[in-house]
Amino acid sequence: MSKASFTSRRAPVHHYVLAVILGAILTIAVSLLVGVSNPGDFWLAAGIGALCAAYPAMSLGARVFVSRHTVTRDPHGEQSVELQWMRQAGAGAFLDVLVATIVVAAVLAVGRIGVDALPVLLGLVGLSALDAGLRYLAIRHRALK
Amino acid sequence: MKNNIAERRAGRQWTQADLAAALGVSRQTVISIEREKFDPSLPLAFLIARTFDCAIEDIFTAD
Repeated sequence: MSKASFTSRRAPVHHYVLAVILGAILTIAVSLLVGVSNPGDFWLAAGIGALCAAYPAMSLGARVFVSRHTVTRDPHGEQSVELQWMRQAGAGAFLDVLVATIVVAAVLAVGRIGVDALPVLLGLVGLSALDAGLRYLAIRHRALK
Repeated sequence: MKNNIAERRAGRQWTQADLAAALGVSRQTVISIEREKFDPSLPLAFLIARTFDCAIEDIFTAD
């Protein structure tokens, strides 16, 4: 696994414009797709689709057009401390999600409560991502303060 | 592990960014090693020693 470092360099202005254009095209495409698949609530569905797609689409635009000018790959990135932070954060988040899953499953089983699987699974994905991200920031803050 | 990387780096008038670039790692890695909050892997320790033209034990000592 390699790691990259941000630099103080800037990409040419037209690359930022291209990144935004690509991000906007992808966002509109996704929102139209989501809207068409929900004809009863086209605008609501399209809006939600656009909100969900905007960040990853813009990020992809930046990755394609901007980051090659502003980010350099560390030759020995796998030796960097960030990899250890990521591993620690991932391990901690896994245990958190495991405990949360056990607790929620126990509550649902004891209370004989039925819930749809999809929101629960999406919640687990969101929880694990948020947990790992927050843990990474906390570990990083502790190490560098 | 204790280390004297900060002193050796200062002796060469290198910034942490300079050393990070020489080692091919992030600046945070150099900061963490100097603050003794991160023990480098053996390959990185060898690379550090080679960068400073000395042996590993000249730089790193056990607590």
